[in-house]
Amino acid sequence: MKKIVGIDLGTTNSEVAVMEAGKPVVIKSTEGNTYFPSVVAFTKDGEKLVGESAKRQAIVNPEGTVMRIKRKMGTKEKIRLHGKTYTPEQISAFILQKIKTDAEEYLGEKIDEAVITVPAYFDDDQRQATKTAGEIAGFKVRRIINEPTAAALAYGLDKKGEQKIAIFDLGGGTFDITLMEVGGGVFEVLSTNGDTHLGGSDMDQILVDYIAEDFKKKHGVDLHKDLKTLQRLIEAAENAKIELSSTLKTTINLPYITVVDNEPKHLEIEFTRALLERLINPIIEKTVRPCQQALKDAKLNPEDIDHVVLVGGPTRMQAVQKKVDEIFRKKAEHGVDPMECVAVGAAIQAGILSGEVDKDIVLLDVTPLTLSVETLGGVSTELIPRNTTIPTKKSKIFSTAADNQLSVEINILQGERPMAADNKSLGRFHLDGILPAPRGIPQIEVAFDIDVNGIINVSAKDLGTGKEQSIRITGSTKLSDDEINRMKKEAEAHAEDDRNRKEKVEVRNYADTMAHSVENTLKEIKDKISEDEKQNIENALKELKKALTGDDIDEIKKKTDELSEILQKVSTNLYQKAAQKAASSQTSGSTSEQADDSWSGHPSDEDKTINADFKVKDEENKKTDSKKKNDKT
Amino acid sequence: MTTKKITEKKKEPHEKNILVFKKEIEKLKQELNEKNDKLLRSYADLQNYQKRIEKELICKDEETRKKYILEIIDLYELLQKAYENSNPKDGIQAILQNIQHLLEIEQVTVIDSLGKSFDRFYHYAISTVEKNDYEDGKIVDEIKKGYMICNKILRPSQVVVVKNIIKKEGD
Repeated sequence: MKKIVGIDLGTTNSEVAVMEAGKPVVIKSTEGNTYFPSVVAFTKDGEKLVGESAKRQAIVNPEGTVMRIKRKMGTKEKIRLHGKTYTPEQISAFILQKIKTDAEEYLGEKIDEAVITVPAYFDDDQRQATKTAGEIAGFKVRRIINEPTAAALAYGLDKKGEQKIAIFDLGGGTFDITLMEVGGGVFEVLSTNGDTHLGGSDMDQILVDYIAEDFKKKHGVDLHKDLKTLQRLIEAAENAKIELSSTLKTTINLPYITVVDNEPKHLEIEFTRALLERLINPIIEKTVRPCQQALKDAKLNPEDIDHVVLVGGPTRMQAVQKKVDEIFRKKAEHGVDPMECVAVGAAIQAGILSGEVDKDIVLLDVTPLTLSVETLGGVSTELIPRNTTIPTKKSKIFSTAADNQLSVEINILQGERPMAADNKSLGRFHLDGILPAPRGIPQIEVAFDIDVNGIINVSAKDLGTGKEQSIRITGSTKLSDDEINRMKKEAEAHAEDDRNRKEKVEVRNYADTMAHSVENTLKEIKDKISEDEKQNIENALKELKKALTGDDIDEIKKKTDELSEILQKVSTNLYQKAAQKAASSQTSGSTSEQADDSWSGHPSDEDKTINADFKVKDEENKKTDSKKKNDKT
Repeated sequence: MTTKKITEKKKEPHEKNILVFKKEIEKLKQELNEKNDKLLRSYADLQNYQKRIEKELICKDEETRKKYILEIIDLYELLQKAYENSNPKDGIQAILQNIQHLLEIEQVTVIDSLGKSFDRFYHYAISTVEKNDYEDGKIVDEIKKGYMICNKILRPSQVVVVKNIIKKEGD
């Protein structure tokens, strides 16, 4: 499948994205940025520079550098650079060429088709010029789409039936508001408005001026005058602006900002979000009128707008978002980076054209909730985590927990809670005919296979005998959204409580496994250790077993630790002796046979052993089960 | 008799063919289904892989952050000690050495700018000045130092570059 890229050809910066495995991915430039400065330059020697390198030298070579060419698209204007003339299409083509080369480098394949975005207000000439630029750059331009349409696509708003959408695009230097109607996948622009000289850079300027003014009042020095200081100030103001999007207060601290009478001066100023908002409010306020005008032109009331989409870096600021809420009386969409959403939307459009966004493939379902099996002590042991794309297959190997256990029960669970009883049981079955063996020896592979329709096949196979049992669960995964949300909320609400309960079970399981294992080990090593040592172990073991009959988890933990400590000493002695004898390193006090992951089916009725706990060797199906030891996290 | 035989003979291979084709179609259908299932499964695998990689990247990012935050905390504590000291100069020198050492380990080097010719790869021109005793394109001031990390640009140095207006009488 040939890849088609989506390009947001911007005034100051451009971005490019592509669909990969059904997901939009923003492509980085070779300089490592997610954007490409829309700057083109020719050096005196005739070398062509595009992007970051052109931007860095712009001030030294103004007669050879061109910026903001987008504003000239569709005009007959010629651009002279070191004696040569270029059309706006040619200049834009240089930018697109750089994007093409970098995208090819990034993807490792040739790209020759693109979807390019333009502002909604672009006329036919401007659109044609953009298309020509793409063609000069070597692209087959599959489609020119409106930037607001792309932004709406990034949020999947084309799939929500008939909707009215407002796209609020506040960039570094321009502001655009577009009202659109979408229905049946078709977007129609109802009205557009804006201000070509309004944006984030105005905000930064106001902040810098304020800080400089404050410093002047305190120290009588104008920081504007020194370039070094000014540069530090600009950076600090920008950082403060970003920080105040998430905090209420920040301090700008610039030590050694200047020297007055041989005395170093430091700049320190406290900035609150309230102050920031007060300062930039005049700028934000300027967005109101264009919005109102757009509503009027479209003959709409704010209430008629179903969705609001934010585009551009400055819309990350809470003050801007608040204003947008106020204008349209609803919260804006969240989730896609406002700097990238136009390119992302263009990539989605490109994906539809290339077949990458194929209904059959990309709309693969995910498991809404985690699927697990019940293990010892009523714990849910995860096999397929929530949000896994299906069809998928995962398997894990479990083992028995009781000696001579002949049967295990597989209880299939759905839900996020760590304890089985709190999750929904989708079905259960027994695997009988396990050969009598000590606990931990039999290997039982439990596999979950979910097909594309969400039908789950669960099988349990005794790898020793080859015996297999399975169950087919249909329909149970098709929960309603309400049900899924309820289960997720419940899981969140009980998270703390559940964790404690699970921990208790784990402590108990660990203690139980340990007691069992020590008993076995003791039989093996009793001739190799002293009577004292043997007595110590037996006493500790007895106490642990006693603790296990009760409910005091702290006591069980304590006794487990005590036993473990004694065993460590014994085994150390044993190894030392063995080393002295230079004999084989047989025997061990390996009491910590605790598995990471212990599953136990309940023993079947004919098996009167109380617990069927099984140590698990988390062997995985290489292809599908990539989440090794995920359960404990 | 003979005519009947002939028609039967003609019919037989025809019916046989249909049977063969039907079987073939069944087989192909099954194959197609299997292939389709395989395709969907590998696609789902890829998507699940993507999800895992995303998670891993976040983890990795956290790890890196932890590592550097710990370095900063160490330096912070040392600076605090220096601040409390009445004669901190020696201490600060040692701290600076520590930082320098850290930068060396990470292969961070300073970009030389002053007096050099402007090179857009290493330098970012913030401003220009006229200085007739300097060659055009020479860097006369450094606003902010630039650094390289493992031979890649960490940040270009921000510089002021000489740009003399060409004297007309000379031409």
